[in-house]
Amino acid sequence: MALILIAWPVTVLGAQGFNITPMGQLIFTVDHSDPVPGGGSLTEARVVQPVLMLDGSAFGGKLAFVATADFEGLTIPHGELTPGAWGEGFVDRRHPHTYAHELTVAGNDLLGRLDGSGRLGVVVGKGFVPFGTDDPMSRPFVRYPVNHHLAQILERAIGVVQYGLGPVTIEAALFNGDEPTRPGDWPVIRTPQGTWRFGDSRAARVTVRPVQHFEVQGSLARVSSPENRDGGGPEVYKASTSARWDDHPSWGERYVLIEWERSDELGNFLVLHSLLAEAMVRRGRFALSYRFERTDRPEEPRLVDPFRTVYPNPDNDIAGITRWTLHTLHLSADLFPHGTHLGLQPYIEVTRGSVASVAGGVFDPFTEYGTDDVNALNVGLKVDWGMAGHRMGRYGVLDEPMMMMPPGAMRM
Amino acid sequence: MRDHAVARWWLVRASWPLAAACIALASCSPESASAGAGTTVVDSVRLVASIPVLPNYGAHDTFVRDGLAFLCAWNTGVLIYDVGNGVKGGSPSNPQLISSLVTSADGVAAGPEVHNAWWFQNPVTGEKKYLFIGQEGPGTVGTSSSGDIHIVNVSNLAAPVEVGFIHINGAGTHNFWMDESRQILYAAYYNGGVVAIDVSGTLSGDMSNRIIHEVTPGGPNNTYVWGVMLSGNTLYATDMVSGFWALDPVTLATKGGGNNVPERYGSDQWVVGTVAYSGTWGGFFRTKGVPGNVVKVWQLDGNGIPTLADSVVIANTGTISDVAVSPDGKALVITTEGGTGAGLHVFSRANPLKPVEVAFVYVPQGLHTGETRVVNGRTYVFAAQDPDLPALNIYDITGVVP
Repeated sequence: MALILIAWPVTVLGAQGFNITPMGQLIFTVDHSDPVPGGGSLTEARVVQPVLMLDGSAFGGKLAFVATADFEGLTIPHGELTPGAWGEGFVDRRHPHTYAHELTVAGNDLLGRLDGSGRLGVVVGKGFVPFGTDDPMSRPFVRYPVNHHLAQILERAIGVVQYGLGPVTIEAALFNGDEPTRPGDWPVIRTPQGTWRFGDSRAARVTVRPVQHFEVQGSLARVSSPENRDGGGPEVYKASTSARWDDHPSWGERYVLIEWERSDELGNFLVLHSLLAEAMVRRGRFALSYRFERTDRPEEPRLVDPFRTVYPNPDNDIAGITRWTLHTLHLSADLFPHGTHLGLQPYIEVTRGSVASVAGGVFDPFTEYGTDDVNALNVGLKVDWGMAGHRMGRYGVLDEPMMMMPPGAMRM
Repeated sequence: MRDHAVARWWLVRASWPLAAACIALASCSPESASAGAGTTVVDSVRLVASIPVLPNYGAHDTFVRDGLAFLCAWNTGVLIYDVGNGVKGGSPSNPQLISSLVTSADGVAAGPEVHNAWWFQNPVTGEKKYLFIGQEGPGTVGTSSSGDIHIVNVSNLAAPVEVGFIHINGAGTHNFWMDESRQILYAAYYNGGVVAIDVSGTLSGDMSNRIIHEVTPGGPNNTYVWGVMLSGNTLYATDMVSGFWALDPVTLATKGGGNNVPERYGSDQWVVGTVAYSGTWGGFFRTKGVPGNVVKVWQLDGNGIPTLADSVVIANTGTISDVAVSPDGKALVITTEGGTGAGLHVFSRANPLKPVEVAFVYVPQGLHTGETRVVNGRTYVFAAQDPDLPALNIYDITGVVP
């Protein structure tokens, strides 16, 4: 089977101007977190990030589509142990994503030669909002960073207009503010009361690539009532900026990402920041990665299940803000030669750091966890088929080949 | 058109929780740590009405008086229902909306956040003119809060008008109680402690200068008052941080109590005669592994000073969100949030110091508050059901406690 997958052409249909590229991945992982809510530690074996993806284009790339199915609703319905993780009613576990993770259609370079070298694009469907940085699923680490809900806005109904000219690409989007609450959820386009949710939120991102391999972006978003699907919740104002380097010298690959985010909810009442820097060096079959993260997390009231929060929270109260300072080291090896379509990468990932209560409130890490030290270990095996190098969440103009990483670039 | 849309939405969404609530009527098996008895359903709690609330973060509290229900529905404002007054032919099983008002946000970014109300019936002047509304703005439990008291003229129930407000810098209001004969409004003010306000005469504009006393019973950094209640010659205050207090209602000086619930955070309270009950909040553990699922039972001495007499555990839930005693004094009514114990719990007060649970209605979303009132001879609980199906649920508990 492995030989078949290795030999299988990634692009299965290659008619003139039309192709479909199937891709997929999953990770067998054993996660150990110390501490977990209530104190102590917990170890679990799970399959995470199981996705199947179709990436296609037609009419010489004028039309492109992406369809990604995510099966985490089946493999981790109660989330993945991840110290510091939060969002969508989960805490210290990363929530499962929706089954229909991405389903987008993009029209590229719609004006052709009419605007010279400019590239006008339109993207519609369900997927990533043009805000922030690449999805963690397509970055060197297995465990998501704490800042996932600060640095990405995903699984929304999106309408995006893009324009690229030279090294600059500008994107503007309308989308629905509501987050999914369970894997089977779809974006709320219009509430039963007749209120449009699609279009109640907007984002804009400017991406500049001044030199080859180097990219910076700045983005802003206003997200309406993310936690209350029927609307009525507070607005969240988000900002992100990042710089990214990725190149592939003859001996392997070098990758660096530095990002900063700010989220402001309830008129400066709930302001969260994140600073993250990560780097990866791959030489031959081995890749070594390091991530530093300092991210704020709101401490929302918990349910009886200590890994779940009141969602949506009927009061706009919190019990404090915690700051998670984490160092993560990741080592992986390719079992197959780099560049083949099937990748098998055993890995080990270690996280150490601390959590501190900031900005007052009754939340106390020592009461909740019994300690302010954070330790996590996960080991496992990543299986990917054609996913390596794909930057998830970039569509249309930003998904052009020159913007993509070479095959295998992001293998762990 | 909008009402029709809401109705259709509700018909679709309400069917399963209503059924669940009805089915769950006979299922009650809480532990009662001190009462020690198993629960027996001696009569049925009946859900007689469920009024959907637009999802502007739902319903929070209800003040019921003279057959009128003032439903506090967050950014939807206050909705005034006839539930037996007769002004619009309403009843508890068929509430009729009279009017509504969205109070001003007063600069709070989250909006009006209408949380609680008190309809002031002034025995000195005979007026029933003012409705006080609490705005619960964003807050950090234990540290900060925001939100004003809004003063609404309800002389014309069909057209309420906001006429004034009370603002305290650095603190926001929560639950109220009144000494109507003295024309004093008491307000819990979270980190601002307990506040007494002179509400006599005409109220208009900024009434912040009517504040008579402000106290922080637990002291700085140890005060976050959830609720207040006047009983006899004592004003009681539950502080999420520093416990259950007895205060002098004239000076707000501490009479006794306090720092007496060290293992949990406090929540709501009720006092009747020489017994008081206070709940606990379980948003977070104050003590590792100890949820906020306990009702504290207090024996009050001749000066109103509380001594802990018992602790009643309600199993499988996270927070005691509201505590009340029925007007006839027979039933202790508890609302809860979180877990399979979320919903409405009714206890017999045959022995007030040893309440015994007699009925439980499971509400998956949880109930935020429950106001217990007699309307036309029957006893009802007006309960605020949490998102994601916010609603005013009205339960008939007549006869549940013989």
